[in-house]
Amino acid sequence: MLFKKFVLIAVATGLMIGVTARAQDAGALLDLLVKKRLITDQEAEEVRSELTKDAAATSAGKLKLSAPITEVELYGDMRVRYETREGATASTVPGTPGPNDTLKRSRERYRFRLGLRGTLADDWFFGLRLETSTNPRSTNVTFGDDAGPFGKASDAIGIGQAYLGYSGFRDIRLTAGKMPNPLVTTLMVWDGDINPEGLAEQWKHSYNFSFGGGTTPAAESSSKDGKNVAAVESEPFKVKLDLFMNLAQFVYDDSNPENPLGVRAVSGGRLVPNSDAWLLAWQMGARLNLPKNVYFQVAPVLYNYTGAGDTFNNFFVGGQQGITNTASMALNQVGINSLLVLEVPAEFGFKIGELPVRIFGDFAVNFDGGDRAIAAGHPEAQDQRYAYQIGAGIGQLKVKHDWQLQAFWQHTEQYALDPNLVDSDFFDSRVNVQGVVVQGGYALSDAIIFNLSYGYGRRADRSLGTGGVGDIGINPLDKYQIFQADLNVKF
Amino acid sequence: MKITHLALALGLAFAATEARAEKLVIKGSDTLGAKLVPQLAEQFKAQHPGTTFDIAAEGSTTGIAAIIDGTAQIGMSSRRAKSSEVGAASAKGVHMKPTIVAYDGIAVIVNSANPIKSLTKKQVEQIFAGDITDWSAVGGSGGKISVYTRNTSSGTYSDFKELAMKKRDYASGSQKMAGNEQIAAEVGKNSNGVGYVGLAYTKAGGIRVVSIDGVLPSVQTVHAKTYPYARPTFYYTNGDPTGLAKQFLDFTISAAGQKIAAQVGFVPIP
Repeated sequence: MLFKKFVLIAVATGLMIGVTARAQDAGALLDLLVKKRLITDQEAEEVRSELTKDAAATSAGKLKLSAPITEVELYGDMRVRYETREGATASTVPGTPGPNDTLKRSRERYRFRLGLRGTLADDWFFGLRLETSTNPRSTNVTFGDDAGPFGKASDAIGIGQAYLGYSGFRDIRLTAGKMPNPLVTTLMVWDGDINPEGLAEQWKHSYNFSFGGGTTPAAESSSKDGKNVAAVESEPFKVKLDLFMNLAQFVYDDSNPENPLGVRAVSGGRLVPNSDAWLLAWQMGARLNLPKNVYFQVAPVLYNYTGAGDTFNNFFVGGQQGITNTASMALNQVGINSLLVLEVPAEFGFKIGELPVRIFGDFAVNFDGGDRAIAAGHPEAQDQRYAYQIGAGIGQLKVKHDWQLQAFWQHTEQYALDPNLVDSDFFDSRVNVQGVVVQGGYALSDAIIFNLSYGYGRRADRSLGTGGVGDIGINPLDKYQIFQADLNVKF
Repeated sequence: MKITHLALALGLAFAATEARAEKLVIKGSDTLGAKLVPQLAEQFKAQHPGTTFDIAAEGSTTGIAAIIDGTAQIGMSSRRAKSSEVGAASAKGVHMKPTIVAYDGIAVIVNSANPIKSLTKKQVEQIFAGDITDWSAVGGSGGKISVYTRNTSSGTYSDFKELAMKKRDYASGSQKMAGNEQIAAEVGKNSNGVGYVGLAYTKAGGIRVVSIDGVLPSVQTVHAKTYPYARPTFYYTNGDPTGLAKQFLDFTISAAGQKIAAQVGFVPIP
């Protein structure tokens, strides 16, 4: 009897500590105690009832989730930033106050992202993320940029991600909606803030190999004096190979309507398109994981575009040398004609002591770059179809006092890439720019990261514009630099 | 002096009559309230003349709500109170105290003309969730399955979802019945019907209880917890019961009360 009382008190006390988490575990433990006849069903019910009561009084106990949700995670980040970016005109721009005129933009900004992702019964999953800003390539809001002082017009929250998917087939993950980019890529081709919309199908499978190792039999070993020595054990050389494939069909621009009343309109001598624009991607990749944290990954991806939507029915020009800045910027900067791009991102990583090091790079070629140059009025620049990036980084930012340094060089030619996707910071959403980026970060705590970034770029081909629409209203953008200081909170 | 004594005697007699005429309000589970509790009440009344009962068997949810609202002294429930209910009770200063009064096994029933005699737990989940819609998929002779379930205020409805369906939703075409007897009656009339009832309702005509993974619900399998859909049933009170509620609860779990529970078809407390 005394033992039974002791068990009950111990169980109740133990479960009361950290009530929320333990209330869920209590059922199995109580059932076991009943099964072992240490307590009765009635006593178990009374303990269970007390636990439920205490759990219901906690903050977590007041949160109710629908039954089909099997796991849910709330996450997000907040960032305050000081940024200054500056662009310079070419020395030969007509109508400018003088050669090498500059446009400078300094601002204090913040961003906020709040996400919810989870799994559902029967292998379904979902994700939702709210973000500041409506810009597809930025989540920043600039302080004081709206009516006020301290207005809220630009501080709206948008849906950054809203997707659902199914992972019930072995090694396969299917996603539909506005999703995190499923492709392995770099800032050279895709701005990190873009959440593409459409469908993605991902496959990944790991293969494990083991070479050599085992125990050398004692009888086959001997010392110099002829005596037998102990058996020698050696570790096998283990290799893990991850193969993956990412397929994507993104709705680039919706056409509305698909079938207009009457005769289809004509614009610029061409029929106004009546089909959606799609960005299609096919990626195959491999990551080879070797012992001692050494790895190599390469993931070629081919991009193709179909349709023109409502907005992309004009040929890309990307600015023009030798005309006024205003006229140059008015030339089409966003066309997606003649883009059949192969991108090959690659990364090699290892450790120096405890410090992770990575050497990374990216290469892209637009197989239709010649046609894109001709359509832009520059048949002499058909070779301007390549882009590449090479860089290295050391360190990581996971826990307090971690640090990281990274630098890369990037060269992007005028007809190599889709200017609507390239990173908006380095280098101002432009192509035909080359330059260097240096970044450093320090973890003030596990959740607080301080980052400094600097980028400097110059026009790559001085006879062409710098295609794309950025924050600096200059085209051609002859020189460009940017500095950012960030304080990030992650949760 | 004699008048004073007479008045005192009359007063005491009136008070005694009032005490004997005390009413016990019991609300909640249809599983308990349709058969077991009325029979217990009859026996209890025989031992406590003048006691009256107000029994409303409209589902476990209503019983638990009645304890929270203070509109019943005993809340019958075939399921445990949910954390949201316990939280709501605490906010009102009500302490939900469960007392196990009997055990039950939720029996899966089919029409007696149906050749199916056994199902697996997975098949039961798939049938009630709507993944399987034809008897031929589980070895039957074919025919569109008609699923009968209890309504949402029923504790059996909740317990079955938890015990048998991994908390999945019932098939969209399932028909919701007010009580065990209605489910048994419908399955008894429909050769393609399937439903679930408490053990006390398995003697209805035209139905057959199927075994689950080879185990039939019985006193032995419920006590041993080898039947997968075994469960305790409860009286909920606001804290420790007192007065008439305590007397009735004590009677329910006494040997005499448990004998009645067994006669009705419940599994008595071991």
